[in-house]
Amino acid sequence: MDTAQTLTTAQTLLQPVTVGAPKIEGHRLDIPVKREDLLRAVKILVDAHWGYLSAITGLDLPWPKPKPGIKPAEPAPEAGPLEDELEALYHFASGAAVATIRVRVPYHDTRIPSICPIIPSATLYERELQEMLGFIVEGTPVPDKLLLPDDWPAGLYPLRKSFTGAELAGK
Amino acid sequence: MDTQQELRKKFVVPIGPQHPALKEPGHFEITVDGEIVTAASARLGYVHRGIEKGVEKGNWAQGMYMLERICGICSHVHATAYALGVEALAGVQAPPRAQAIRVLVAELERVHSHFLWLGVAAHEGGFDTLFMYSWRDRELIMDVLEGLTGNRVNYSCNVLGGVKFDVDETQADAIRKAIDFLEPRTHHYLKVVTTDETLIGRTRGVGRLNQEQADALGAVGPTARASGVPRDIRVDAPYAAYPDFPVKTITATAGDLEAKFVCRLQELFESYRVIREILDKLPPGDLTVKVKPRVPAGETISRVEAPRGELFYYLKSSGGPNPDRVKVRTPSLCNWGTVLVTAPGHKLADVPMLIAGIDPCFSCNDRLVTIHRRADAETWTWARLRQYGIEYYR
Repeated sequence: MDTAQTLTTAQTLLQPVTVGAPKIEGHRLDIPVKREDLLRAVKILVDAHWGYLSAITGLDLPWPKPKPGIKPAEPAPEAGPLEDELEALYHFASGAAVATIRVRVPYHDTRIPSICPIIPSATLYERELQEMLGFIVEGTPVPDKLLLPDDWPAGLYPLRKSFTGAELAGK
Repeated sequence: MDTQQELRKKFVVPIGPQHPALKEPGHFEITVDGEIVTAASARLGYVHRGIEKGVEKGNWAQGMYMLERICGICSHVHATAYALGVEALAGVQAPPRAQAIRVLVAELERVHSHFLWLGVAAHEGGFDTLFMYSWRDRELIMDVLEGLTGNRVNYSCNVLGGVKFDVDETQADAIRKAIDFLEPRTHHYLKVVTTDETLIGRTRGVGRLNQEQADALGAVGPTARASGVPRDIRVDAPYAAYPDFPVKTITATAGDLEAKFVCRLQELFESYRVIREILDKLPPGDLTVKVKPRVPAGETISRVEAPRGELFYYLKSSGGPNPDRVKVRTPSLCNWGTVLVTAPGHKLADVPMLIAGIDPCFSCNDRLVTIHRRADAETWTWARLRQYGIEYYR
């Protein structure tokens, strides 16, 4: 199956949970989903044996954007008010095709469900999301620190745009 | 029984963080019942250097130098994955000659990396003679890489839009000569790892990962291929010059440590073939195209096949002079799960071999150091350090 066809398959499979318009760009497909539908979306791909979980990327999307001259962030899938958000990207790869399931959550409620019951190997990525960006991954099997030191201050997330390192002065 | 009581009944052997198998830090807690492992867990992050965050601070070109330093073994694939990603975002393509040189260096890197692994794995198995021989042979490739790029590690071959150096006939001959020597050596090592009684005792049937497990755990690279999962980005999604110089996926079915030896060694023959082919048919033309300092807004995913498996880069630009986000997922991270799953049921003494079996690279999957400053310590600014560097080499 060629790449375009593989992507179309994923798009069709994920149609029921897709919020708004999915985007296809070359070998990539972006599927925005609601947080409530994340597990369902992951299960759809896993049940259909569509590729494997290649990585999970966390993004910090502060609003307004910190730098001038940058196009504003697209509205959240929930089309809620424009506010500081985090986004988790679940990249699935099948051959050359990559399908990304995207979930956005606001700073004041960063809970996302753990996908470990479906894909146990996601634990390392979920721990990274928690300590680097401040997601709360509900039900993740091991919530301990993975990359940061055990005495790293609580509530300080190095991959947030607001983090400069100065917060650690005197530590 | 509550957890505390249960814990008291278990015996946990801590391994690391000082070089648990390789000379790199990682911490493992191995729960044992007598000699038999019943559970295993890993703690990483000892060499986390905050590179993903660091890259957001510099410009697109500086990012390359930082990312190339994620790994001292497979530095070139990191730079390649990044360069290909940035070029995709910028809408440019490096010239064919540059792409071929990228693949040439990538395959040379794979050869040195696999030889390095062969030595480490043999050493963990107590077979130090094989360790010495394989590392002696690896020096040939290190010399070739140094001759080609000026560096033994961190070759700094890539620039955004192409490569820095050309390959002339003298260098091509030096590479051919090294490969001609290494090929029969590899045949010999393949015979050794499949016939030496002592080594087989440590590898055959040990750490068996079946195809279903490898697939479900998302294993990549030789770890997956030794279990019959044909994942190879060079074949699945050919990049750089791989469409013109295709490679064949090498798989094995046993999924044990022996299969991992066989798989990696057989991959070397593919690398030798591709290296020779590129040297014979190096496309003519330029080495670079221009990439503007500002990269148009957008996102891209760049995947390449590192010696340890699929290396995944996610790049996001907001149209500015520096990257908005660079996410790096290295193959070792994917493969850890396989060690933790296969370890239970084995003897404690097998653990170093199991860890070495996936050819883990700690620096790759860790990327922060906390610095305890003394009162009299001096902090240099980037500008001062840069100036120092310029003056030092003047």
